[in-house]
Amino acid sequence: MKQTSCEHETSVIRALHADQWSSELRQHVAECPDCRQALHLAEALRTLAAQRATQFKPPDPHWILQRSRRMAREIALRRLALLMTTMRTLAVIYAVAVAAWLLRGYASLQYREVASTMHGASSEFGLLGALAAAVCVILGLWPILRGGAAPGQSR
Amino acid sequence: MEDAGTIAAWATAGREQTAAGEEGFRHLYEATSRPLWGYLHHACGRADVADDLLQETFCRFLLRKPPPMDDAGARSYLFRIATNLLHNRPRSRDDAAREEPAERGAETDQGLRLDVQAAMRQLKPRERELLYLAYVEGMSHAEIAAATGLGVLSIRILLYRARQKASEFLAPKRIEP
Repeated sequence: MKQTSCEHETSVIRALHADQWSSELRQHVAECPDCRQALHLAEALRTLAAQRATQFKPPDPHWILQRSRRMAREIALRRLALLMTTMRTLAVIYAVAVAAWLLRGYASLQYREVASTMHGASSEFGLLGALAAAVCVILGLWPILRGGAAPGQSR
Repeated sequence: MEDAGTIAAWATAGREQTAAGEEGFRHLYEATSRPLWGYLHHACGRADVADDLLQETFCRFLLRKPPPMDDAGARSYLFRIATNLLHNRPRSRDDAAREEPAERGAETDQGLRLDVQAAMRQLKPRERELLYLAYVEGMSHAEIAAATGLGVLSIRILLYRARQKASEFLAPKRIEP
């Protein structure tokens, strides 16, 4: 059973579009039932499309440009909101981890014991640095956490 | 082919919010909005849905910022977006029932129009799309492949089947097999 169209079908449709028929193509269409069928269907569909085209009232392209810019802003805002949510979640995890470490781990030991397990003065500086970093991170994230607590606020 | 230059210029301009960018988009829009709307209307059968999808197509085109391309490439890209939107559109069960009736036109064309519309309603959306792109837009199989995401060989077979099916639904006196 035949499953594909005639190899000249595309040429026939192109000739219909351009309205340029060679005598060979005309002859072929007259002899080929496939191409004749395709041609008649194409004519019917083109007539229907031409009639429908009268209903087309294109919106102002400027309006579409404006809408696309608005959509771009919304997408950027959504991405930013996702980033903020991720940072907020990480901040909470970080704060909980630091609190747990301070309360259960570090607090149960004497400071000097911890320091002695490390090496020399640099380890003390490292420890102080880590604590300072934690304070800075928490202070930096504070506005974000506050923003999350008040959903009505504009961000 | 005058549009090729303006579309390419617009594409390379990076779609900035400039008067030149807007002018380029206006040319692209004027060159492609009518055939795109016709395609969308033919595939979904409703003018209001076609209006919405047309706007969505151009908005997505602007948002995606495709690489610089000539007019054929931009056209093909737009048809691809439109096809994806058609397929992703949530369809309600009464969608076919809500397809608009034929408008009153010239008496001689009215019968043919009703026949063709009725035949198209019997086809699957994919079949309508292929028939429109091939016979109304005059796209080659390769161009249809680019616009629909199907393989060229598949298109040849699917198009043949769609044509056979459409011809069966049409009155035999109008389309002679």
